[in-house]
Amino acid sequence: MTVPIERSFGGLTVFAVAVAAVCIFVPGAGAAPHVVGYERFHSDEATAEGGAILFSELGCAACHGASAAVVPRQGPRLIDLSQRIERDWLIGFLKDPSSAREGSTMPQMLHGVSNSEVEAVVAYLGSLGKKTKLKPGRHANAERGSALYHEKGCLACHAPTPDFRSPHGDGESLTPALAIAHPDFREKTSLEALAAFLSDTSTYRPDGRMPHFQMDAQEAFDIAAHLIDFQGSDPRELKGVAQWPDSEASLIKQGKETVTRLNCAACHELPGIASNEIVPLPESPTLAGGHCLSEDARPGLPRYELTGGQRESLKLFLSSERSKEDIDGKLTLAAMNCYACHDREGVGGPLHDTDPFFIGDESLGDSGRLPPPLTGIGHKLQADSMKLLFEGSDESRVRPYLNTQMPSYPAHAEALTQWLQAVDAKPEAEELVIRPDDIESGRKLLGIHGGTNCITCHHWGEQRSLGIPALDISSLDARIRPSWFREYLLNPASYRPGTLMPPLWPGGQSTVPDVLEGDTERQIASIWAFIKDGQGIPEGFPERSGGQFELVPEDRPIIQRTFFKETGTKAILVGFPGRIHLAFDGSSGRPSLVWRGRFFDAYDTWFTRGAPFEKPLSEEVYPFDEGGTESRFLGYQIDQSGAPTFLLERNGGKVTDSYRVEEGVLIRTLTWAEGGEPEVAHPAGAVVETARSGRTLTLTYSWK
Amino acid sequence: MEMRIHLFAAGLAGFMFSVEAEEAPPSYEVFELMTASSPNDSRSKDWRPGDGITLEVSGMAWIDDELAISIRKGEVWIIGNPLSKNREEIAYRLFASGLHEPLGLLRDGNDLLVSQRSEITRLQDNDGDGVADAYLTECDGWNVSGNYHAYAYGPERDGQGNLWVTLNLGMGPLANNAVGWRGWGGTIGRDRKFVPKALGMRSPSGLGVNLEGDMFYSDQQGTWIPASPIYHLREGVFYGNQESTKSLNDPAAPFQMSAIPKGGTPYDVALRSSKEFVPPAVWLPYNKMGRSTTDIEVIDEGGKFGPFDGQLLIGEFTNSAVNRVFLEKVDGEYQGACFPFMDGFPAAVVRLSFAPDGSLFVGMTNRGWSSLGNRSYGLSRVSYTDELPFSIREMRARPDGFELVFTEPVDAASLGDAFEMSSYTYLYSSAYGSDEIRTKSHEITDAELSKDGLSVTLRVEGLRPLYVHELSANGLKSVRGRSLDSPKAYYTLNKIPR
Repeated sequence: MTVPIERSFGGLTVFAVAVAAVCIFVPGAGAAPHVVGYERFHSDEATAEGGAILFSELGCAACHGASAAVVPRQGPRLIDLSQRIERDWLIGFLKDPSSAREGSTMPQMLHGVSNSEVEAVVAYLGSLGKKTKLKPGRHANAERGSALYHEKGCLACHAPTPDFRSPHGDGESLTPALAIAHPDFREKTSLEALAAFLSDTSTYRPDGRMPHFQMDAQEAFDIAAHLIDFQGSDPRELKGVAQWPDSEASLIKQGKETVTRLNCAACHELPGIASNEIVPLPESPTLAGGHCLSEDARPGLPRYELTGGQRESLKLFLSSERSKEDIDGKLTLAAMNCYACHDREGVGGPLHDTDPFFIGDESLGDSGRLPPPLTGIGHKLQADSMKLLFEGSDESRVRPYLNTQMPSYPAHAEALTQWLQAVDAKPEAEELVIRPDDIESGRKLLGIHGGTNCITCHHWGEQRSLGIPALDISSLDARIRPSWFREYLLNPASYRPGTLMPPLWPGGQSTVPDVLEGDTERQIASIWAFIKDGQGIPEGFPERSGGQFELVPEDRPIIQRTFFKETGTKAILVGFPGRIHLAFDGSSGRPSLVWRGRFFDAYDTWFTRGAPFEKPLSEEVYPFDEGGTESRFLGYQIDQSGAPTFLLERNGGKVTDSYRVEEGVLIRTLTWAEGGEPEVAHPAGAVVETARSGRTLTLTYSWK
Repeated sequence: MEMRIHLFAAGLAGFMFSVEAEEAPPSYEVFELMTASSPNDSRSKDWRPGDGITLEVSGMAWIDDELAISIRKGEVWIIGNPLSKNREEIAYRLFASGLHEPLGLLRDGNDLLVSQRSEITRLQDNDGDGVADAYLTECDGWNVSGNYHAYAYGPERDGQGNLWVTLNLGMGPLANNAVGWRGWGGTIGRDRKFVPKALGMRSPSGLGVNLEGDMFYSDQQGTWIPASPIYHLREGVFYGNQESTKSLNDPAAPFQMSAIPKGGTPYDVALRSSKEFVPPAVWLPYNKMGRSTTDIEVIDEGGKFGPFDGQLLIGEFTNSAVNRVFLEKVDGEYQGACFPFMDGFPAAVVRLSFAPDGSLFVGMTNRGWSSLGNRSYGLSRVSYTDELPFSIREMRARPDGFELVFTEPVDAASLGDAFEMSSYTYLYSSAYGSDEIRTKSHEITDAELSKDGLSVTLRVEGLRPLYVHELSANGLKSVRGRSLDSPKAYYTLNKIPR
């Protein structure tokens, strides 16, 4: 029997039809541009300050100059649009930006422009960019992406997804009214393009309004899968961006002319097109008459669907005495939406709605989940370290317990740093008087033996704190100014209300009167000096903390094979309850070293992928002397007490080498076959007692 | 009668991985013996295990009714009552400890053989107290540089009684592949030394033997390995990864290569350039079948695990899945097809082992990498429900196409628009993996259903030797109206039968 086969009808065409059908342009709710800094602080009442934020964030300054914001608002880079953006979506967006994305700050530019001219503009835009090939889809996990989206800091500006349950909530989803809306990502773009955007935000959005979050490629795909609501796993189940039609050179040229005429280059970086000269602002602004502030902006001018309040605010701003110094600080923080996460001088910080989404380590109280305040930040942080922070350097990520990540603003790190350092400068601040002889007292004060117990809460480099995981203080000197350090120690709560950090010099009085005569200033300076000195660790850390997988032989010896620093890659470690331990080298068939005290921490052997070499948890280490016969290692046997006998072979003859610990001494017993007595080396510093009986040699090692 | 078929853009159509066809009752059920109580953050530098036994399964061996399991932190546990579905009746007993990242476990008489980084070790319980008291070197002789990636896998016993071991390449800090057989597979010699037999491996984390007693190993996509392959393991051949060729300078090298294939060439071209260079029996195309193959386990359960006896099951790390492989011999060499089989396991699947009752134990661990599973480790058991799945059981090459053998009769009416085929190969290069290249659609000019409805013979235009031939059978129904568990199959057509 032969069965006829017909052509199958795949899903692609159906999908494309569906996409096309949605692209209908209905201006309506959400048409007014949404500027978070304005909505949050100035939408109740028209003010010049609100107008200043709008003037900056609607891009007015791009044509008119005179924005006071430190980082000017720009449009996105229009590169590789044909790879990244659906053509139909783009056409809809250009015709009416706010219908394609609610609250878009992009004005209508193409009102009064014919459809054929729109086609030309799109053809021109499609020709921009290097046609960089997007990285192929990775296996995406939308569930993980959702967790990242809701924890990493996206919610500072964007809403949680409706079905997401707040980690602190009662099951109710929160919808912050200030959130910047997303477009329908499925209509706009593809999984790969969205992931590429998230991985490299500062390339596409150089003005930092959508800042760059550090993430690996997998995280970008996972978040993109969440945003695009792709619940599958294989990205090839999704379509990519539909192929743009080829355009005639003449059409592209025509589009370029239109784009030039409309002065798109004022906001967007466009190759070979310069922006027009600055258009001076009118002496007395008016809301009527076809200007960009009016409802009926003339063709060729941007048309904004402003609310009445927004118009009034802009008018007030334009009529006001525009003194840059008055407003630029708050304006910049509002424009960049720093206030979403940070409080500064009582302004901003998480809102009632967004607060529950800031999560972290609750053992640190609110400091363990909320980003730090910015009050006086330019005084607190040294310029270099602040710049690194804006650049997104790993070293500046000092609060690993916060789930929310500080994004980076690489293009403007310099400008932001200069500005904050200038506005917060405190030339009158009291500097520390360092006395080099006091450094050792600093070590004592940081520790727990008669000190101020800093390490009870704070990590110190590799050493984990003895208690809650507060930030690493071992290199504070690289980040903060000593004068700020002094002020903070004298009254932590004045900088950060509600901090768990106690006032250790209440009212300026030391709680440790027997160190440096209880002199508060000397004590604080000595702590700083010890940190700056960078030598040694505070008193009171265990010899090596951080393990939690320290092996402690109690009733029986513990044997573990591992990579061992002193012995090599075939080390067999034997820990005895008598606190004398042995490393035996399986590659040479010889004992390698003995140590006394604590055995070792097996975390790296058991649970670290990278398998770093282990080392003794003790300084009392006694390597075996050079020499001694090498043998082939054949394994080991364990006796009733758990002690090992190493089985060896030398020139065809069997040798055994056994170890046990009794009353503070290590007892080693060697046996050999007829004529095969091995040469024996002993551990350094040991007192050796030797007993011989036929082909058995018993050695007793002890140390003073 | 001749018809034309046009292939649609490959890879767009969604497909089900699950064995459970939507409308059909499930053919397999999964019981979780244990999963990690810790969340899945297994790439974290500060990863911590959950409470209880850190059951990061790295090897499994049956001792009568009990299951011995090696775990990555270096222990061997014996599980009593492993077939109970009451977790409280399942008992865990520590048998051996202090091992260095064991990644394989095999029963040998009264002993267990276990891999460690630097040797294969024989574990004996001489005093009969249920705990190992002798840890004897069974085989060593390879270089251990201290690089974390330099794992040792095995041993696995072939039909002649040889015990095979495979050695991972080192990658990253301290890696040294210049000496000591990294990237080689071999057997345990009489003098307890590793006997190198074949080279060209990258990450040969799975070994398994088929019903004929031939040994197979799996490798993972990466440098020189364009997608995940399953190879017939034997002496005197090269599997492609050139890092391993450095050990050819060792006087103990069992053979020399007539030519080192040139990188940057299509795979079929590269294969023809060196007579030692052999293709995999089966490619598992990247993403489509998963991303990191692990264990190999033959189905030999007399129907107790469904209608797939004689086939191989392949563990899949990243997708937390198990794939299925059918092999046949053409001109004396193995080749065949792979099929998506089961997914949705709670962590990365690393080891597979059939229990005496024909159920499949699936051992898992994510640590160090990551998988779709949301747990860090665990042990699951898969049982056949006696509900026959509708599957492409076999895909056999023919001189002018393929023969598909189904588990139950096909509804002739559903054949009309079912079949599509494309083929592709890979680029052989030092890069990390390869795209599919030289992709071509094939016309299927004829599809003939056998009288019993159990097989379909496809006549395919332009078959290409050494290429993967990807089959789609969308919309195919059984006479009971069921859809295929997976409408996809990938046949590695090394040779076209005459």
